[in-house]
Amino acid sequence: MSVLEKVRPRQEPVVRELRVTDEHGRRIRVWELVLRYALLLAVLALTVGPFLWQLSTSLKGPTEDIFSSPPTFLPSHPTLHNYERVAHTIPVWDYALNSLKVASASVVTNCVGSALAGYALARLRYRGRGVATLVFVLAMLVPVEGIIIAQFTTMRELGLNNTLIGVVLPGSIGAMNVLLMRNAFRNLPYEIEEAAYVDGATVWQRFWRIALPSVKGTLAVVAIFAFMGAWDDFLWPLIVLSDPDKFTLTIGLNYLHGTFANDERLVAAGTVIAVAPLIALFACLQRYFFRGVGEGAVKG
Amino acid sequence: MAGVSRVRRQLPTSPWLFAAPGLIVIGAFVLYPFVSTVVNSFTDRRTLIPGRFVGLANFRELLHDDMFWTGLRNSTLYIVGVVPALVILPLLLALLVQKNIPGITFFRSAFYTPVVASIVVVGLIWVWLLDERGLVNSLLEAVGIGRVGFLSDQWLLLLSAMAVTVWKGLGYYMIIYLAALANVPRELHEAAAVDGAGPVRRFLTVTVPAVRSTMVLVAALSSVAAFKVFSEVYLMAGPSGGPAGEDTTLVMLVQRTGTGLTGRVGYASALSVVVFVVTVVLMLLVLRADRREET
Amino acid sequence: MRISRRTFAAAAVALVLPLSACGSGGDDGGSTDASGKVEGDITFQTWNLRANFKPYFEGLIADFEKKYPGTRVKWIDQPAEGYADKISADAAGGTLPDVVNVSPDLVAPLAEAGLALDLDKAAGKYKSEYLDGAWASHQVPGLSGTYAFPWYLNTGPLFYNKSLFEKAGLDPSTPPKTYDELFADALRLAKKSDGKVATLANVPTIEDFGRYGVQLMNKEGTGFGFNDAKGVELLSKYKELYDAKALDPQALTATPESSGKKFLTEAVAMNPGSALDLGNFKKQAPNLYKNIGITDQITSTGHVNMYVMGVMVNSRTKHTPAAVAFAHFVTDARNQMSFAKKVAIFPSTAGSLDDPYFTKEDGTDETRVRIAAAQSLKNAVNYTPVLFSEQMKTALRNEVAKALQGKESPKTALDNAVKACDQLLKQQG
Repeated sequence: MSVLEKVRPRQEPVVRELRVTDEHGRRIRVWELVLRYALLLAVLALTVGPFLWQLSTSLKGPTEDIFSSPPTFLPSHPTLHNYERVAHTIPVWDYALNSLKVASASVVTNCVGSALAGYALARLRYRGRGVATLVFVLAMLVPVEGIIIAQFTTMRELGLNNTLIGVVLPGSIGAMNVLLMRNAFRNLPYEIEEAAYVDGATVWQRFWRIALPSVKGTLAVVAIFAFMGAWDDFLWPLIVLSDPDKFTLTIGLNYLHGTFANDERLVAAGTVIAVAPLIALFACLQRYFFRGVGEGAVKG
Repeated sequence: MAGVSRVRRQLPTSPWLFAAPGLIVIGAFVLYPFVSTVVNSFTDRRTLIPGRFVGLANFRELLHDDMFWTGLRNSTLYIVGVVPALVILPLLLALLVQKNIPGITFFRSAFYTPVVASIVVVGLIWVWLLDERGLVNSLLEAVGIGRVGFLSDQWLLLLSAMAVTVWKGLGYYMIIYLAALANVPRELHEAAAVDGAGPVRRFLTVTVPAVRSTMVLVAALSSVAAFKVFSEVYLMAGPSGGPAGEDTTLVMLVQRTGTGLTGRVGYASALSVVVFVVTVVLMLLVLRADRREET
Repeated sequence: MRISRRTFAAAAVALVLPLSACGSGGDDGGSTDASGKVEGDITFQTWNLRANFKPYFEGLIADFEKKYPGTRVKWIDQPAEGYADKISADAAGGTLPDVVNVSPDLVAPLAEAGLALDLDKAAGKYKSEYLDGAWASHQVPGLSGTYAFPWYLNTGPLFYNKSLFEKAGLDPSTPPKTYDELFADALRLAKKSDGKVATLANVPTIEDFGRYGVQLMNKEGTGFGFNDAKGVELLSKYKELYDAKALDPQALTATPESSGKKFLTEAVAMNPGSALDLGNFKKQAPNLYKNIGITDQITSTGHVNMYVMGVMVNSRTKHTPAAVAFAHFVTDARNQMSFAKKVAIFPSTAGSLDDPYFTKEDGTDETRVRIAAAQSLKNAVNYTPVLFSEQMKTALRNEVAKALQGKESPKTALDNAVKACDQLLKQQG
């Protein structure tokens, strides 16, 4: 009972505000609450468990047998030694900085480019709009797998191979992101812009002052997708970059799969380093992210 | 009036200015390379040796290539296995996290972590877990089921890869459903509740019809992604595609035949074109099915 | 959003066709004359060596630049994954570095496309500095010439798990020496453990066929022949092992990495490896390390298998003399020797293997393994034909798997594999 009592005062306004469809009004029965938490915890174990296992391996010391059977869940002598070794083996901070540059640039270009294009597809009337939309839809269906060398030669002709710009460019405005923004703008009521239109606001003014601020949440969605895509990518940066000083984290961490030795603990520490910043970023942005979801950007 | 005419004057140019950056990037780095893929599909080009025009020879060869049919089978099976799960499970998950009970934001975020992690990391972790001596098998043995060859049997491998795809996609589609659920009028549920409908019936009579168009969208997105599956199977079944290559998917075949210094770029391009055409058809089918149901 | 790792350098080079299209033969492109003055800026690319050997290479380059004033060497190192994709893109795009770390199977297509400098012409005078077998390993059937300096070699013993041998009632001090003994012991280990302990973790590869004494290719290098009686015999043996679970059930999907893990988890009793692995065992599975026995690679030919790394010169380099001089410098006896002392690999230069470092016991396992390997290297063979491409490896692997699963007879499987490989060979040439 104490759970419920603590819960209720905080919960009521939230429920009303977000209009969560709660068929029982504000009251949640104890057994239902218990059931919900039990299910939530079960799914939690399933989704996060594997990452925790990896974390546990990365914290195991050199004397622990990580191949023992049955496996031990908790490190008996937890140590950060493996992380030190990663930093010692490769310049992990330099790589992380490069990744950060690439991912941030990708966030900016995707947010700006997709918002502009999405607005053009959703709100402006002109001949060729259908064709333009089709271009983005088809681009989404192209198997990226088949075009990477052609992308590289294009980049080389532009003189952008072996630059971080070259890493960012092909993914700088994702077709999927454009379509997300288009949907978000389409779901805005027309009345919002009508008043400004009558007042003589230009297209740019309407876009910038009225439409864009209403889809902030979707921008957060695009930002996270763009960051994720750039941060996680491996093959494209590998092919475009030659200079190890410019390598991104995903490439750099691949050095841990040594030619002459493979250390599971080191690899585990590497994967944790690769995933942790993304989880942190998502944790920070999740409020906006879920608001973006509310705007219906990702709705059909 | 002056204002309106000013807006009018701008119209012919500015829409294209808005769309230009996107169109240029997509055109230069996606469509243009893909056009050259289409061109290559009619040649016998290899990675380092220029091609000659060979007409439809690559496409004819496809028809007689056992691996192509294996790939087509697996990519199709992937749709059958993954899409229903990705249409239904995330919807149930969305219903579970929809209600604002304490700590729910934590759960929502946590459920999204598999989406955020790179597929390479995910693949590594799952191979490690599903190994014959891995954690999952140790647990199965402890409860008396015994060890299961997740990574050695052709079908179990494909199923395991599908499970990983579903696992990684749950959070993503959950988000899409959350958005749709937020717009389901609460009155509908209340009315149904007054009529004495239980949770299951309300789910079927209220929720499902209300999010039907979202389900179609999820089906379309996930079936295109499923047909183009590469990483999960590649990472779990290995580059040669499982025992005797029986788990090879079409895109894996594109990669295998086309990459490296000895890659048969022409043939792989033909495969790419087939994959593209099939995904376009898939998209159209799903959308048409949707429209037909509506009318 | 691009997601996958080795994704697919699959297709499509449209505009730059003329640049990358250089036909075959080795005489177009940059100068083959290496006799000019050694000067200019060159780039040197290695494969996954930076993490552990950064100081070594920095020192090496400093020495070279000191010896040849007016040269500057830029060192780039590529990670393990995707090396072939990286080289393919660079070769197709015309951005291949001047001096490149390669393996024989990478050299062959580059040489056919005229991108690798013929060293018989440009650096023939250095030939006598290397072991004959090593020098020959970068020759390509169908082309005259040698397309890379041999660099480090590697080979290794067979490790086995003594306690698993003992549990099966086998004498842990007499490991198998011949194929027959190996197969007999394997069957026994499987039987005694109820199929829980396998002895081998990998399906036979082209190299295994070679070591078993199968003639892999015809003399001219125009066709494969590993479907002969010997080849069928080996595959039939493996089938027997597979049915008895003496060949690990996961072998059909195993990678060298995963089979190494199997050995560490004691699911597999034997594992081929090298001196490098000893340290690895000590670190990763300290409990197992005490139980590890070491024996010689098993062959029917008397020649163990070796892996060869090479250093090739881009035929389009603007500084041929400097590039050739540097490639030679990296692979000369002195520098190979000092590299060999850093990590358990072996120099390919003539006479180096007689150095006391490779002949004098000091009582440790590492030294014992090193000496044995150095001895066996003197007449070792790189069994894998240089023309055996990744696509062929997959074709063979998949046919072998069909035979093991009983879907095809060993004979049919090998016939199909040879047919597929011959077809691929024809398309390559």
